[in-house]
Amino acid sequence: MRESLVDKNVIARTEAPVSSILPDVNVIQIGGHSIMDRGRSALLPLLEEIVANQAKHRMIIGVGAGVRSRHIFSVGLDLGLPTGALAALSAKDSAQNAYMVSCLLAKHGFVYLEAPFVVQLLPAMLAAARGAVFNGIPPYSRWEHQPLKSKLPPHGSDAGSYLVGEVFGARSVIFIKDVDGLYAADPKTDPEAEFIQQARAQEIIDRKLRTLPIEPVVLDLLTRAKLARSIRLINGLRPGNLTRALNGESVGTLIQQ
Amino acid sequence: MEEMEDKNVLLTGLGKQLVLNSLTDASVQKATEETPDFAILPWVNVVKIGGQSIMDRGRSAVYPLVKEIVDNLPRHKMILGTGAGTRARHIYSLAIDLGLPTGVLTVLGTAVAWQNAQMLHYLLAQYGIPFVEPEGFSTLPHYLLERGAVVCQGMPPYKLWEPNPVAGRIPPQRTDTGCFLIAEVFGARKMIYVKDEDGLYAADPKKHPSSEYIPRISVEELLTRDLEDLIVERAVLEFLARARNIREIQFVNGLKPGQLTAALEGEPVGTVIYRNGDAE
Repeated sequence: MRESLVDKNVIARTEAPVSSILPDVNVIQIGGHSIMDRGRSALLPLLEEIVANQAKHRMIIGVGAGVRSRHIFSVGLDLGLPTGALAALSAKDSAQNAYMVSCLLAKHGFVYLEAPFVVQLLPAMLAAARGAVFNGIPPYSRWEHQPLKSKLPPHGSDAGSYLVGEVFGARSVIFIKDVDGLYAADPKTDPEAEFIQQARAQEIIDRKLRTLPIEPVVLDLLTRAKLARSIRLINGLRPGNLTRALNGESVGTLIQQ
Repeated sequence: MEEMEDKNVLLTGLGKQLVLNSLTDASVQKATEETPDFAILPWVNVVKIGGQSIMDRGRSAVYPLVKEIVDNLPRHKMILGTGAGTRARHIYSLAIDLGLPTGVLTVLGTAVAWQNAQMLHYLLAQYGIPFVEPEGFSTLPHYLLERGAVVCQGMPPYKLWEPNPVAGRIPPQRTDTGCFLIAEVFGARKMIYVKDEDGLYAADPKKHPSSEYIPRISVEELLTRDLEDLIVERAVLEFLARARNIREIQFVNGLKPGQLTAALEGEPVGTVIYRNGDAE
């Protein structure tokens, strides 16, 4: 008990098997800028597809922030506010988006859970309700990490949704974006960019791509995964992609530990 | 997005870059680094009271320290964060044995730091010092100006969202890190860690009494030395190396009366770990 928890030898002795808490749950992340900001035309068909899969697959849905966070980042940075303040502000944008998604899915039995309820009530809610929506941005708030580069909060809704999948040992973690998956360059500006169907997280980190369709920190988290050892990126603007991903088919990009 | 471009008169140059480009774009990231930094509470001192090193020792260690804190209230404003300690070690070992993941260990460990904060708060309550949960942090400026100090639990409020460590299962960001991040976000005057050692040694002085004492070292050098054991969580060193507000952190021995006061007065007591290029 007097051992230092900073001692490398003590830490090494804490390696032991981890069990999955909710092994049949699928974590679905709905992008803020990529899906939510497009409104009805992008979101409603996607939600229909979620409902169509409800009987077969248990889903919890993390939602991202999008353009309002870009705006408040610019105002906040202009005022000199630190990263932790920006993180607390941005989490309200994704909370708004998550709340709207939960309203649209309410009649199908989905509930909206704030972070304290994810901690205390998610299993009970999933037993009683037919799905849950949560704020994709993790509750780091003022305690957000210092980014390596920039002053922007490194943990957005991609990281928060992934971490929910990892801690509960989810069956799958699926990111719904507006591109087909991972490309070697931004496909919106470079139509010739190479498509990457499958890769390891460390390989992608090593390639140092200029832009990524997910937060770079998710790749770091994947290298340390104990349970959620892969993620899938799919294009939510193409009907059927989510269904295929839930059925374990090869669609979009699979990133493995 | 194209049609938004003309309406973007409401946005600054940086605002346009942020709205129109990917947040992972290198030029956007660079532009954010060039914005000014504003210190929210530049006069506050964050003081972390160790869990195992101070709180677990009970009255003999805690009472003199509480007196020293009270004596400093007229001169120094303090956010007092607490560590976890022995009970956290017990529940971490139990939870690891039960196969529970790191995020669950964070929820469990937070409760221990919370217990210590409650106990410290009871001892300071008669001086009007409140206990503040993370959700109540917006009220800190008021309490600090009116009463001079607040007590909080040191764990960052990551709950189930704590990232896995590189090795093992222990949450990598614990109370040292939570207190550091409070100091950084508020642009605090000082970050002082109160433990039961005179400062940093090349090896744990409890096991190696003759190990080298390090009164002052840059965080870059300390990370390069890659010591087996440290006086502080490794995450603190990584965050200090890239901090924008906090330039140095100080470690004092809370079992020696006067050390906390000396640190609050700006004296070089204990060990100082500083960010390179910022100190002499």
